[in-house]
Amino acid sequence: MTTLVTEQHARPVPNPKKSLITKLNMGTGVILGALFAAITYYLIRHSLQTITDGAVDPLNPNQNDQLLIATMMAWSIGFLIGIGAFIGPFRWLIGRDLTAEEQLYLAGDGQGIKRYFKYCTDHKVVGIQYLVGVMTMLGVGGTMAMMIRTNLASPGSKFITPVVYNSLVGLHGITMIVAMIIVATGPFGNYIMPIMIGARDMAFPRLNALSWWVLFTAIPVLCSAWFLGGIPTGWTAYAPLSVQAGAGMDAFLMTIIIFAISTAVAGANITATVVTMRAKGMKWNRVPIFVIGSTISVALAIPAFPTFMLSMIMTGMDRSFNTTFFDAHMGGSGWLYAHLFWIMGHPEVYVILLPGVAALMEIAPVFVRKPLFSFNAAVLGFAGIAGLSVLVWAHHMYISGWANNLNGPFMITTEMISIPTGLIFLVLIGTLWRGKPWMKLPMLSVFAFIWNFLIGGITGIYLSDVPADNYLHGSMFVTAHFHFTLMGAALTGAIGGLAFWYPKMTGRMLNERAGYISFWFVQIGFNVLFFGMFVAGAEGQPRRVADYAHQFATSNLISTAGAYSVGIGMIVLLWAVIHSWRHGKIAPMNPWGSKTLEWTVPYPVPLENFDELPVITSDPYGYGKGK
Amino acid sequence: MSDHNLAPTPGDRATTFFKRNDVRRTSVIFILWTATFTILGIWLYPKFMPRIMSKEMLSAENIMIWFTIISAPIAGIVLALATNAFLNMHRGDTPPEEGPAVRTNGPVVVIWTVASTIFALVAIVWGIVELNVQSVEAAATSKSAMIVEVTGSQWLWTFNYPEQGIETHQLNLPINRPVEFDIRSVDVNHSFWPVQLGVKVDANAMVTTVVRTTPNKLGEIDVKCAELCGILHAYMETTGAVMTEADFDSWVSQVQQSGASA
Repeated sequence: MTTLVTEQHARPVPNPKKSLITKLNMGTGVILGALFAAITYYLIRHSLQTITDGAVDPLNPNQNDQLLIATMMAWSIGFLIGIGAFIGPFRWLIGRDLTAEEQLYLAGDGQGIKRYFKYCTDHKVVGIQYLVGVMTMLGVGGTMAMMIRTNLASPGSKFITPVVYNSLVGLHGITMIVAMIIVATGPFGNYIMPIMIGARDMAFPRLNALSWWVLFTAIPVLCSAWFLGGIPTGWTAYAPLSVQAGAGMDAFLMTIIIFAISTAVAGANITATVVTMRAKGMKWNRVPIFVIGSTISVALAIPAFPTFMLSMIMTGMDRSFNTTFFDAHMGGSGWLYAHLFWIMGHPEVYVILLPGVAALMEIAPVFVRKPLFSFNAAVLGFAGIAGLSVLVWAHHMYISGWANNLNGPFMITTEMISIPTGLIFLVLIGTLWRGKPWMKLPMLSVFAFIWNFLIGGITGIYLSDVPADNYLHGSMFVTAHFHFTLMGAALTGAIGGLAFWYPKMTGRMLNERAGYISFWFVQIGFNVLFFGMFVAGAEGQPRRVADYAHQFATSNLISTAGAYSVGIGMIVLLWAVIHSWRHGKIAPMNPWGSKTLEWTVPYPVPLENFDELPVITSDPYGYGKGK
Repeated sequence: MSDHNLAPTPGDRATTFFKRNDVRRTSVIFILWTATFTILGIWLYPKFMPRIMSKEMLSAENIMIWFTIISAPIAGIVLALATNAFLNMHRGDTPPEEGPAVRTNGPVVVIWTVASTIFALVAIVWGIVELNVQSVEAAATSKSAMIVEVTGSQWLWTFNYPEQGIETHQLNLPINRPVEFDIRSVDVNHSFWPVQLGVKVDANAMVTTVVRTTPNKLGEIDVKCAELCGILHAYMETTGAVMTEADFDSWVSQVQQSGASA
């Protein structure tokens, strides 16, 4: 055993000197991406004659949209070529593959911090890339939320104009949705999960790197929306408003298209890894629940996101080539868009929720020192939610008028989701029962989740009932409801997961005091914020409004106060994460005494994780006395 | 329990179960949480929701109140167990002692699943019955209903009363007379929301959507747009009133005259 370890550490850094891949990194990607974008921009601009005149060509009035979409596409492709994403596939075309030495080089072992800026196939590097990316996105989206709440602090506020306000609402929405979809499966699904199931890496390490770097190319595109007039439609981007909107919309739809490719790649990869690469003896009933929850979540994303991509391609065609998919005046239908959007949109909220819940189910047994209560109920709960979630999309369209006779059936499927959701609560409270929870940061998130998700669930029951939705639809009540589920439940779960796995991912303990301060600021502020918003919605304030009548002033002021508290808490958390990364207490191998496999490997986790692959003889929940 | 070699009878087990300290404490917390949620439901919505001026609004508010009350015991159980666990917390840097190795409890899982199914069924049946009542009523009154053609445009509501031959931007309605709103948009999607009447439907281009109600209280109405429709979405609102038949008629003739003079 010892010799094996020394051998591994003595392994020289591979240096395939002549190979192109050693010279490529994020910098070359950005350069080539920018170059591609510039060339495409000038070629198209010069081939479209009238665009320089500022006049509109009656035969081709949407030249600007064509130009922008092509430029953004070119950036994305150029970047991926520049970072070396296509070297492997190109080699296959000419009947070869990367040499063993090159593959080892791509895994990034021994390359220090540089590997985080390269096309690196090590799942742990990809996990950290996702973590930093997600935290950046949450920070940006959160800042936008603060600006929105500041403007809504009092009626008649002139903090920002309605134009800027609408852009912010759309940008906040899409930034947060993208961040929340990957918040748990990105960092923990990539870093922790392969170790958890006893695998040496993901099933497709190069696809893993691709999923991150494809997503990365979406970030500048999304940022450009701000400079192209914003996203004035909200993240739902309903047609025909989206067809009417300015050039920022092109950036929005390219973001979604790129993002959908990234999630498809990541989803296929994670699913394949879990199905085929579990350690010997890890039968399905011995798989940790986080792995099950995340896998169901990404498997649900695989059919969901392509419809979003499709709806965006169609919007892009309406915008740039005068097709009329969504233009009712020309035989199209706005309802078609709404359907395509929500067929993605409702599974998507569970794609966000499930990994967060699953992380908490992983945490609870460790800190209560009891087995997970009814593993089967947990799996059934996840599977039931995933199954039903593809049949409920039109509850977002009760009042759209598209088919009133179908409101009843959609109400039935929607209400039925409360049954598997009930199982999720049962698993958590059953695990807590008769236990003495160890009140560390991850455990606190379990309690916060139970409260927040309960409120989100009960208010969801009103919204699913058509007569109540007739009143509540499109009001602040809805906004408060889905923030309780997505932020109060899913983000709380992800933060719990971060506190739990931080020692394994960074080798250090997260600063506890800062963590507690952050937790209470965030959770109390969050409840004040969205309780105020529930009241504003019940009073009759529509959502996505830049201004409101005086009767809603008190509830909005309370909301804004709560929002600042959340903001302070999140800044403290951010500080704690950054500070502890360098100066935190060195973490022991298994600080929480957990029984899952990721705690059996040292930090830094060696390349390919295990010296010897483990063999599994029981599930990881064998806590407790009197077995 | 005189002979501890005998297995306890089911009755005994239940008695000892409820005599356990943790069970007693959890039961007390359960009652407190259930009461809190019940009171919250009864107090919150009637206090903050606008005036009820139609059956549809009444039905919406009732659902919100009653569903809170019905879900109060379930919320009570969940929160009681969570609170009890929270109060049992273990602090410090060493892990707590091992808890009992309970892996599952068949009867509990079954009872819980059945209970939540019944709960879901109550919500479903309630909703279906309400929906049915509303559509039967709408069908019954469709012949006698007064028609108001509502047009949404960026960022203005226009109301056309074909029967009276008037067009305004103010939604006035006579009391106790069924009204049918025929809603269209001339540009992007809007959503017609006369707040106190408790109905709402989207305005779409090239399609007419219909919603019916009967205002049954006198008073002011706020009309808002509930679908993001561009820059001035927040300001796409107007007011109106439910008035007596006589007031409505005089308002109509007033509008007719000013229209004729203009």
